[in-house]
Parts: sequence; C-alpha cells; structure tokens
Amino acid sequence: MISFLIYKTILVIVIFAVSLVVAMYSTYGERKIAAFMQDRIGPNRAGPFGILQPLADGVKMFMKEEIIPDVSNKALFILGPCIAMLTACMTGVVIPWGDAITIGGEKYSLQITDINIGVLYMFGVLSIGVYGVMIGGWASNNKFSLLGAIRASSQMISYEVAMGLSIIALVMMTGTISLKEITEQQAGGNWNMWNVVYQPVGFLIFLICAFAETNRTPFDLPECETELVGGYHTEYSSMKLGFYLFAEYINMFISSAVIATLYFGGYNFPFMHDLGLSENLITILGVVALFAKIFFFIFLYMWVRWTVPRFRYDQLMNLGWKILIPLSIGNIMLTGLITLLRQKYHF
Amino acid sequence: MMIKYIFYFLAFVSVFSALMVVVSKNPVHCVLYLIMCFFSIAGHYVLLNAQFLAAVHVIVYAGAIMVLFLFVIMLLNLNTQSEPHKSTWLKFAAAITSGLLLVILVGTLKGSETMVMPVGNPNAGLIKNLGNTLFKDFLLPFEVSSILFLVAMVGAVMLGKKEIK
Amino acid sequence: MKSLILLSGLGVLTLLSEIFNFKRKIFPVVLLGLLGTIVLSAMYWNTNKHYFNDMMFFDNYAVAFTCLISFIAFAWFLLSQNYFNEETNLTDHFALILFALVGAVIMVSYQNMSMLFLGIETLSLSLYVLAGSRKNDLHSNEAALKYFLMGAFATGFLLFGIALIYGVTGSFNLQTIANYITLNSGNIPALFYTGVLLMMVGMAFKISAAPFHFWAPDVYQGSPLVITAFMATIVKTAAFAAFFRLFFTCFSTIESVWGNIIFVMAILTLAVGNITATYQESVKRMLAYSSIAHAGYMLLAILAMNKFSAGSILFYTAAYSVASITAFTVLSIIINKSNNEAIDAFNGLGKRNPFLAFAMTVAMLSLAGIPPMAGFFGKYYLFNAALQSGQTTIVLVAVLASLVGVYYYFKAIIAMYFKSGSDSSPVEVSFIHKLLLVLTLVLIFAMGLMSDFVIRLL
Repeated sequence: MISFLIYKTILVIVIFAVSLVVAMYSTYGERKIAAFMQDRIGPNRAGPFGILQPLADGVKMFMKEEIIPDVSNKALFILGPCIAMLTACMTGVVIPWGDAITIGGEKYSLQITDINIGVLYMFGVLSIGVYGVMIGGWASNNKFSLLGAIRASSQMISYEVAMGLSIIALVMMTGTISLKEITEQQAGGNWNMWNVVYQPVGFLIFLICAFAETNRTPFDLPECETELVGGYHTEYSSMKLGFYLFAEYINMFISSAVIATLYFGGYNFPFMHDLGLSENLITILGVVALFAKIFFFIFLYMWVRWTVPRFRYDQLMNLGWKILIPLSIGNIMLTGLITLLRQKYHF
Repeated sequence: MMIKYIFYFLAFVSVFSALMVVVSKNPVHCVLYLIMCFFSIAGHYVLLNAQFLAAVHVIVYAGAIMVLFLFVIMLLNLNTQSEPHKSTWLKFAAAITSGLLLVILVGTLKGSETMVMPVGNPNAGLIKNLGNTLFKDFLLPFEVSSILFLVAMVGAVMLGKKEIK
Repeated sequence: MKSLILLSGLGVLTLLSEIFNFKRKIFPVVLLGLLGTIVLSAMYWNTNKHYFNDMMFFDNYAVAFTCLISFIAFAWFLLSQNYFNEETNLTDHFALILFALVGAVIMVSYQNMSMLFLGIETLSLSLYVLAGSRKNDLHSNEAALKYFLMGAFATGFLLFGIALIYGVTGSFNLQTIANYITLNSGNIPALFYTGVLLMMVGMAFKISAAPFHFWAPDVYQGSPLVITAFMATIVKTAAFAAFFRLFFTCFSTIESVWGNIIFVMAILTLAVGNITATYQESVKRMLAYSSIAHAGYMLLAILAMNKFSAGSILFYTAAYSVASITAFTVLSIIINKSNNEAIDAFNGLGKRNPFLAFAMTVAMLSLAGIPPMAGFFGKYYLFNAALQSGQTTIVLVAVLASLVGVYYYFKAIIAMYFKSGSDSSPVEVSFIHKLLLVLTLVLIFAMGLMSDFVIRLL
C-alpha cells in the first residue's frame, strides 16, 4: 500500500514537472519558430541560443507588481487563474505516457490511473476548463474582459459539441473509452494501423476543435488584441497572468498528447515488438515516441499560429455549428454503417 | 471505512453548497456554489460505482448548462439591489410551506433504515451494462426522448429566430 | 403504437415541409393524418397489446383516449385554421402541436413511469414554447415563463415521487408496483407513500387542480387563443387520463392514503374554480377558471375509483372538450372581429349572427350541465360513479358548485341575447368554422343521446 502510494506520488510529480517544463519550453519554441518563420533571430541573449529565456520570463512574471483592481470581485479574481491552471494539469492523469516498466519483478505502469471512463474524464475536465476564463473575465469587472470571457466560453461550448461527436465515432470503432485500451488496440503488427487511418475525418474535426478549445490562432478571439485589448486577462498582471498564459501552453501540451494517444498510436511505434528489444527498453522508446508525436503537434500549433490569420467571430461560429457538427454526425453515421457491414460480412 | 468518510465529506459539501446557493446574495456566487454542488453529486455517483453517470453529470450540468447560466447572469449583470422585494407575509408563508415539506420528507426517512431494499446489480452503472439496459429494456423511452429533444430544439429555434415578414 | 408512430412521423414531415417547400399543402395532410391516427388506434380495440418490455399498454382505455385526443386535435386544427394562415413560423407550430399530441398519446397509454414522465415532458415542453409564441406580446411572454417555471417545478415533484417509489419497489412498471402493494400491504415503508403524494402533487399541477392552479388563469389568458383552446381541451384530457391511469392501475388499493387529500383538493378546486369564474370580465379568463372547475368535477371520478370511473371520465372529458372547442371557436371569431375578449364583445350577438349565438349558447349550457346536452350526462355519470362509492358529501358540493357555474355561463348567454352592443354589424363566419360548429353542435346533442353507449365502452 505504502509503496503503491509512493510510486503514484512520484509519477504524479514527474508528470506534473514534465508538463511544466514542456510548457515553459513551448514558449521558447514558439518564439523561436515565429522568428524563423518571419526571418528573424528570436530570443538569443539568455544563455546559449537564448535557452534560458523561459526562466528569465518566469522570474520576470514573479517579480512584477501584482495588481488586483479595486472594483473587482477579489476572491473570484484569484480563483479564475487557479481554475485555469488546475484544469490544465488535471487531464494528464489519464493519459498513458508509456507502457509498464518492470523494476525488480514489479510492473509499474506509466499511467497515473486507468479509469474506465478515460475519454469522458478528459472531456469533463475540458468542459470545466471554461470556468477559469469565465470567472476571471467577469471578476475583473472590465468590459473587455467580460467580452473576452463570453467569447471564450461560447467558443469552447460550441466546439466541445463537435469534439465530443468526433470522439463518439472513434469510440464506436474502438468499443472502449479507456485511453489505455485505445492505445493498446493501436499496437503494431498484422496491418493494425493507427486510428487516424480509420478515422481521418474524425481526426481533422478533433484537431480543429482542439485548436479552438485551447484558444489558439486561428481561433484566439477571446484575447484578440486588436479588438479586446487583452481579452479576458486584460486586468491580470504578474503571476496570475502567468497562470493564464501558462495554462494555455499546458493545454497545448496535453491536447497534443491526447491527439497522439487517440489517433496516432500513443506510445506505440512501428515494429516495436519485431526488433527483439527488452520490455523496459521498448517502454522507454515508447515514451520517446509519444513525446516525439507530442512535439510534432505542438509544432503544428505554432506553425498554424504563424501562418493562418485569425477568423472573424461569425465565421468561427459558422464553422463550428454549420460545418463541423454536421460533418461529425455524418462521420458517426458512416462509422456505424461500416461497423455494421463489417459485422455482417466479416472483413 | 474510507468510503464512509468520503461519503460524509461529499454529503457535507453537497448540503453546504446547496444551502449557499439559496443563501448567497450575489447571483454569480449562487451559480458557482451550484456547480460545486453538482461536483459533489458527481462524487456520490462515483461512490455508487456509476462512473459514466458521474462523468456525464459533470460534462452536461457543470460543463454546459451551468456555463449558460453563468453566461446569462454575467450579461444581465444582476446584483443584490435589483432583486425585487418580497412582502413579509409571502416569506412567512413560503417558510411554513417549505418547512412542512421538509418535515414530511424527513419524516418519511423514519423507519427506512430497517426497510428491505430491492437489490439491483451493483455494476449497473458501468458503461456496458448501462448501454445494454438503455438499448434493451428501456429502448422505447430512449427513442421517445429523442422526440423530446427535437421538441426542445424546434422550440428554441422558433423562439430564437427573427420574424420574417 | 402505430398511431404513435404515425403522429411522430407527421411531426417530422411538417418539419421537412419547410425545407422542401410544400408548406401550403401540409394542412390537409395533417388533417388526414389525424383521421388516420383515429382509424389506426381504433383498429386495436380489444387487442390489449403490450409494447417494448411493457413500456406501453394499449388497452381499451388507451385506445379510447387516443381516439378522443386525435379527434379533438382534428377539431382543434379546424378551429385554428385562420391562426395558421397568419403565422410565419407555420411549420414549427404544426410540428410542436403534433409532438405535443405524441406526448398526449404516450400519457394515455403508458405502463411505465419513465414513459409517463417523457409523455408529460413532451407535451409540456411544446406548450411552454407555444404559449410564448407571440414574441412581441408581453402577456404571451409572461404566460410562457410562468408556465415553464411552474411546470418545471411540478415536474420536479413528479420525478422525486417516481424516484422514491422506484427506491422502494425497484421498478417503474405500474403493474409491478401494484403487485408490490398487494404483496406487502401493511408494511409498506413511509417512503412509498411520500412518493405517491409527491406524484399526486405533480399530476395535480398538470390538471390545474387547486391549490396548484395558480398558473392556469394567467397562462390561459396570456397565450394565443388557439393555444389556450389546446390547453383547455387536449392537455386537460391527456393529463387527466394519465392521472387516472396511474392511480387506477397502481394506487387504487391504498386509497386510504390519498383519498382524503384528493377529497379536499376536489372541494377546493370546485370552490375556487367556480366562484372565481363568476367575477371575471374576460371570457378567456372565465373559460380558464371554468376549466379549473371542470378539473374539480373530474377529480370525483378518481375519488370514486370504481368500475364506472373510467367510462365516466372518458365521457366527461369528451363532452367538456367538445363544448370548449365550440366556445373557443365562437370566441376566436368574436376576437377576430372586435379585438376584444371581454364579455361585452358578445353583446347583441343574438342579432348579429344568430347561428354563432346559438352555438355559444349550446356550448355554455353543455358546460353548465343542462340537459339534454352532453355536459349534463357527463356530470350525471360522474356523480353516479361517486355515489356508487358512497362519496355523498363531495357530490353535494359538486352539485352546489355547478349551480354557481350556471350563473357565469349564463352571463355570456344574457349578453348575447338581452344586451345590445355598440357595434351591430353582422359577424361573418368562414366555411370551415361553420362546418366545425355544426359538427360540434351535432356531437353535443348526439353524445347526450348516446351517452349510455359511450359509458359502456370502458
């Protein structure tokens, strides 16, 4: 019992720390990539290649003066960024970061908990994530903040629907909503492909919705600076602002992990069981593979951000309700049809 | 034993937050307490081994419906002053009637501890069993509820759309 | 069951008609569909079919009420023909009404409490919206909001009741619950009784029995007239049929628990409905209170709870609905003409259009319960059923109440024949309305004459 607790605690801390570090270096990566795409150099002062820049930013955030507006609702003003940060970190619990590692005959799974409603849990956490933005924006008692909060929440609710529907098609195919089982089903061999091969439309919808849910460009209307100053975090300063910004990067990391798990085989990599490697090595290589996939998607986020312009608000809503939702319903029906035909004709 | 304490904790949270929903002056606080209440109820579902229900409860109620609530309240910018004043008599009557209801409800619990409860399948809340129940025993209500949702949708569209002259 | 599928299909068809642009042709299609529903359900007479794990049970009671509801709906569509011509959201209205009918059919044929709940919700949800369908009219908004809030609250009670009963018996099935009561008589936990009472509260709200009637007058007055007619006839019929079905199948053996409460409720409803109706100026509001009063009469059948009850409820609801449809038709013509729903609008109608005045008179007399109209026989059989179970007190109260009722129904008649209004131009009646009025008038008399036959159906 005690060893179990210790192992889980260590796992939680490691995953938490990894999320933070990845998020930190995403900010660095973002700036470097932006610089590359705009033919600039980007941060290069703090350390070699500016590698210490995120640390410097962090210190700056902590050191800045902390301002809580007089007319704001203080408790809620503080609660907002806390919720944003909390929900950002919560999803990591159900993601299978790797297969089990065997130490001294004991198997230690690299997933914190394999609840049998993994996908739904992820979804539940996602759906409460919107409160961080809403509460913060409202409590600031600032019109721009409120508008940003309202935009954020309506956007997130709208895209949640399409996202859920796209996952339903996937779940119909896999027959389980445990993330661990979904990953295991995608293990290599015997022409067993990653889910993205079977669910290309679902993957696209999910990807677009993930962009919207993380409030990333081209869907970053809640904080679009040309219209709303800073959006929902206009009034925030110091580390509370840092929390919001940080939560966005953690969300990016986690959603990339989810995409990789659901559609790109998670910690599986091609020929993983054909190379004659030891179990532990396969697990470690699996973790590396998963992170490679994650980094690719984080890169995709940034790539899109610096190439695609921002949508107009009505375009955003039209895309969500009039294109993505019908499309995902069609995808569900198609999946159902094919599942039925497969059962009947065994192919 | 552990589960017993968790139950008491959750029960306390749900009752406390439900009370705060009624007592709070600020409508936004009310909504936030209600969300808290929903979370603790979802916790109860988990204790009853109905994880699917718990997750759906959080997604649908806390994640969607309450957001809309919060949305409307934030836009209306309700505050304590705009609440209409109710007459003392009305409050008095309301207190008495709801007090009576409380007495009745608490009274019914008397003797229920010795009651023989029908025992169902403890795993009924798991997603597979739930699906089987829904699509076998309760197929008709399940399908009829789609009519119910269609009605709600048609109604919402009708009330929402502009009058075309 | 086939009738249910036909109705739902019809609802979906009306929605599709908006897309494929055959809006104008949908009216006759709906009328035909309703006739088809009557035929389809009548074909199942005496078959007693169970459907889907006993979710629905089409016994004769269900079949009779399905036919009745479809027929009233048919008449109602004729009545509201003008209304639909002016309406911009035509298809939405049709669809909502048809889905409400689906709910009503479920409510008269359920055998499982989950179906009861879904039926009630489908019916109510459509009506919440329809009550508020005049978006620019404050009264309509008020009606919708009031109806919705109160209705949701009542549904909460109903659900709580269902949950408690499920907790004790472990079943939603009416027959299983009834068996539970007979098996465990004597040591049923209090939880069960509370469940019964809470369900009763929920149902009493739906039939607008006092003291749960407060929503009714405002909602009836604020809603568009044809929607009020729908609520006063079809909704009331369905709600009552559901109430009776629940109590007759499930709780008839524990009458000692709820008998007294319904007794008090019936007296209150009779008193409040009839007495308040006497000092109403608006005819629409008067009809609202009269519909409350009629709920009071119908409660007698539940109190009686014997083999005559079902038949007398069927007859009473039929008689009441037909008379109400007549009254609402006349009222809608008058309102169209003078844009005034006060009782003065009827002044001199006897000269302006004798046919309309005659129709209104017959409707009022039938509602008041004057022989040889159907309403009289309806009351007669109800009172008879109650007397068979020894409920003398309540019958006495009901008779007194109907005497009060005569007073306000006659107010309209007096206005039509003995008062002269400022406007004396003749009132024109469209062909369809004439047809409808003739049909209902014939029915009011015919039902009076054939009452024995209808009663023996159930």
